[in-house]
Amino acid sequence: MGLKRWFFNPFFQLGLDALLVTAAELLLKKGAMTGASLPRSIAWIGVGALASAWTWLGILAYLLSFACWLYVLRHIPVGLAFGLISIAQVLVPLGAWMFLGEAISPRRWIGIASVLCGTVLIARIVVTSSQT
Amino acid sequence: MTAIAIFLACLSQFFLVIGQLMLRRGMRVTPVRVGSVAAGIGLLTVWFFLWLGLLADWDLSRLFPFEGLNPVLVVVGAWLFLKERVPLSGWIGIGLISLGVALVTSS
Repeated sequence: MGLKRWFFNPFFQLGLDALLVTAAELLLKKGAMTGASLPRSIAWIGVGALASAWTWLGILAYLLSFACWLYVLRHIPVGLAFGLISIAQVLVPLGAWMFLGEAISPRRWIGIASVLCGTVLIARIVVTSSQT
Repeated sequence: MTAIAIFLACLSQFFLVIGQLMLRRGMRVTPVRVGSVAAGIGLLTVWFFLWLGLLADWDLSRLFPFEGLNPVLVVVGAWLFLKERVPLSGWIGIGLISLGVALVTSS
């Protein structure tokens, strides 16, 4: 029972959504790079990427993330939820920095810090209003 | 960027914002309003392909103002059309997130 309640917590779903969106973007990127190379005349649509299993995993991650998002919107106002989910935008560079050793420019660090500060402000509002 | 690209970028943001508002409108009630959710999914599909087309032609670092503005547009739209009340600290938080997303995508 405890596990079930935890899983259906909107904040857990929001976090899961952010991770799934991040994973989907990385998988699609990998799929686009390893997909079959097609003649240039049709390659621009990106269909070559469909030949890669990574692309299909990416699409699956996107579909799952959308299910999470719909659940989140049942419980959290969209204006605040959309702000919180924007954290996915900084998870990609942070992940690349932590796991791939990619450098992050000072300008990017400022952006990441700004997003995180904003996320804390919004999260506090959502937590407070969901307790009343 | 060309005038057409800027127009298409604005149009895609419009579809994204209205799509998100429709999703929330459909999901926040019990029973769920299926029509609103379907409309939201339709609008987000249009946004997805418009944005994909723009990303194919332009580098993301050129499109950052549009990407950055999204959280602000959604919160303004939700305030106007869904009567979502947001305290001052929420507006400041959204401003910081928008600025941060713009900075991260621009470099």
